[in-house]
Amino acid sequence: MNKRITIFLLALAVSAASAGAQSRAWDILREFVLIPGVSGHEGPAADYVQKMLPAGLKTERDAMHNVWFTVGSGKPHILFVAHVDELGWTVDRITPEGRLRVKPGGGILPQTVEARPVLVHTGRGPVAGIVAPRPGYDARPAQGETPEAPFTAESFDIYLGVGTEAEARALGVAEGDSVTAKKTITDFAPGLMAARAVDDRAGCAALLDAVLRLKPDAVKGKTVTFAWDVQEEIGLFGAAELAKTLKPDYVFAVDTFVSTDSPLESKRLAFLPVGKGAVLRAIDSSNVTPKSEIRRVLALAEKRKIPVQVGNSRGGNDGSVFLAGGAVDIPLSWPGSYAHSLIEKIDRRDLEALADLILAIVAEWK
Amino acid sequence: MAHRVARALGMITAVAGIAAAAAGAADVRTVTKALFAVPSTTGNEHELAAKIRGLLPKDLAVEEDGLGTVAVRLSGPAGPILVLAALDGYGHMVSGITPDGYLTVDRPAAPPHARFDAYLLGQPVVVTTAKGPVRGVVSQPAMHLLTQERRKALVEGFSLETAFIDIGVRSDREARAKGVDLLDPVTYPAVLTELAGGQWAGPDLGMKAVAAVLVDIAAGHRPGPAGGAAVIAWAAQTKFAARGRGARPALGAARAKARWQPPRALIVDVVAAGNGDGVPVPGGGPVLIQAKDEPSPLQQAFIKLAADLRIPVQSLTAAVSPLALPFAGPPSEVLTVALPVRFLNTPSEVVDLRDLQALRDLLGAFLAKGAGQ
Repeated sequence: MNKRITIFLLALAVSAASAGAQSRAWDILREFVLIPGVSGHEGPAADYVQKMLPAGLKTERDAMHNVWFTVGSGKPHILFVAHVDELGWTVDRITPEGRLRVKPGGGILPQTVEARPVLVHTGRGPVAGIVAPRPGYDARPAQGETPEAPFTAESFDIYLGVGTEAEARALGVAEGDSVTAKKTITDFAPGLMAARAVDDRAGCAALLDAVLRLKPDAVKGKTVTFAWDVQEEIGLFGAAELAKTLKPDYVFAVDTFVSTDSPLESKRLAFLPVGKGAVLRAIDSSNVTPKSEIRRVLALAEKRKIPVQVGNSRGGNDGSVFLAGGAVDIPLSWPGSYAHSLIEKIDRRDLEALADLILAIVAEWK
Repeated sequence: MAHRVARALGMITAVAGIAAAAAGAADVRTVTKALFAVPSTTGNEHELAAKIRGLLPKDLAVEEDGLGTVAVRLSGPAGPILVLAALDGYGHMVSGITPDGYLTVDRPAAPPHARFDAYLLGQPVVVTTAKGPVRGVVSQPAMHLLTQERRKALVEGFSLETAFIDIGVRSDREARAKGVDLLDPVTYPAVLTELAGGQWAGPDLGMKAVAAVLVDIAAGHRPGPAGGAAVIAWAAQTKFAARGRGARPALGAARAKARWQPPRALIVDVVAAGNGDGVPVPGGGPVLIQAKDEPSPLQQAFIKLAADLRIPVQSLTAAVSPLALPFAGPPSEVLTVALPVRFLNTPSEVVDLRDLQALRDLLGAFLAKGAGQ
């Protein structure tokens, strides 16, 4: 047994003894969604991942803040990857009036943050602000008036409560600081919630939970890498960096399945209901999963009585950047309503089924 | 001699008023936070009314009307006068439940501006039911699945026609089991954001802050020399327009006038500020608003009182608001004293705590000293 496996097994033994077999994914998710991590600013989120992993486990972390560890040896090499970054903005400049102009960091509807609180994550801690409503928001447009300009991240500004650039800088605000929505968790019922950054902190939480519940003998005869990567929302850049050194045979990207389980959307695709189990993404905008692999995952889930749904949707996944290197990409998910919003919805049962599915794959994938 | 004594007594009363105001410096903020947490929309003011009643001294007799207006009488030199503030904010209510458990939404009154409903898109909301608050979100389409056409229709064209509240259930039966019923108020969660420069932001914060000022004053009021009763009223249904010919006054204000028939009325309201076009300026003090650019005894009294107390005030000539409309013209004399609010009638109304304190001090001193007599 090599040294890497020995350290991992010791760490897991300690972890398993303290945590037992109960899933902690839900509690981890509720804590993790509140930690800021706009693409390119993932330091605190990467810190959280490393803090949650079993003590003594040797992880790697690169300059981008990708975090990963590998255990076991031999074939196949399986990679699980979830992204820690979230949608948000970056301070572009501070106006003479002390307001902030921002650059967008991924697809979030600007209208949904108009006149809403945000947090600017400065070197001295978070500073609260309000996205100023569009000028003349309360005016009644005259008939025949030219339609107003669209409300975009490039056009809005953030009010901090100060009136000059110097006052804004005195708060610690600087160009390059990240900005997130001020997050709240909406609890519909125990085990059903909505929040910003469920995409992809739920995937991260499922991976962390799986690691914490992993039995020491599960990784025999194969190589398994768990990775929490960065900058997915702006172009899969963290995964691309990992792909330079990691050459898995199979990659299981764990990320949101954009579900149409909502009253506004056509059910012609992506209609996988929230609460009906984990998801295997058959097709998305970046990958077509081989049918043979879909059948293998479903057989495994059936054997372990894990509810799994299969669907096609849109959006990319981190696994797709490993395709060119020879990997087979099998994206795993949960059904997520209202993706890329302040109210991303998730059911605890789906999250725990996802973590169970990850554990099953680690133990039985050949 | 008598004049000097009266003046000295007046100064002592004013100083006492300031001292009382200073003593209540923390209280008006505490009361504001307490009221901020309570939802109150037109026709659904009962929870805020109950909260206000609970904060008032037990020895004050509380008057109520059939619509939910709450009032108390304060003896002292300021009366007879009606001091009127709103008990209701703009908001939404449940208008129906779909077979699959989503709630549809309507408004009890016309919106304050054309974009008001659009703020609902993709937001957490609270439905206040007979069984307690139910948390929900207003559905929005997933970005990944939006074509340009759908984006235009569902996002840029968002209206109450496409506003569905998801409360995490799958049927109307489950929704009703949670206590949801028609007309239940729909509001944003009361999340207060503390900004730099001593400013607070939150939904309906302006109206709640104004109501809190009067609660704090009433709670700390000590009877002074007799002069008649000042009626302090928090009026329900002020966003609902009374029907009739011509201008449409606020229903709650029209009922208050009919009930108390005051010779003078002081409307305590909010006013949009910080739009970059001059007065009113947030942080510049309470705003004295009159319909005509002519001095009135009440306005002059407030300007003098503010000068004596070194409280900054701003003056504005503007069209009479629906709240003041029933009192416009003889035999009433009316003045609006307003709290400047940045981003008024958005989900993040910003209040400068200096203005809040100044409004409390000014009105507290007025009721204690009785300026304008």
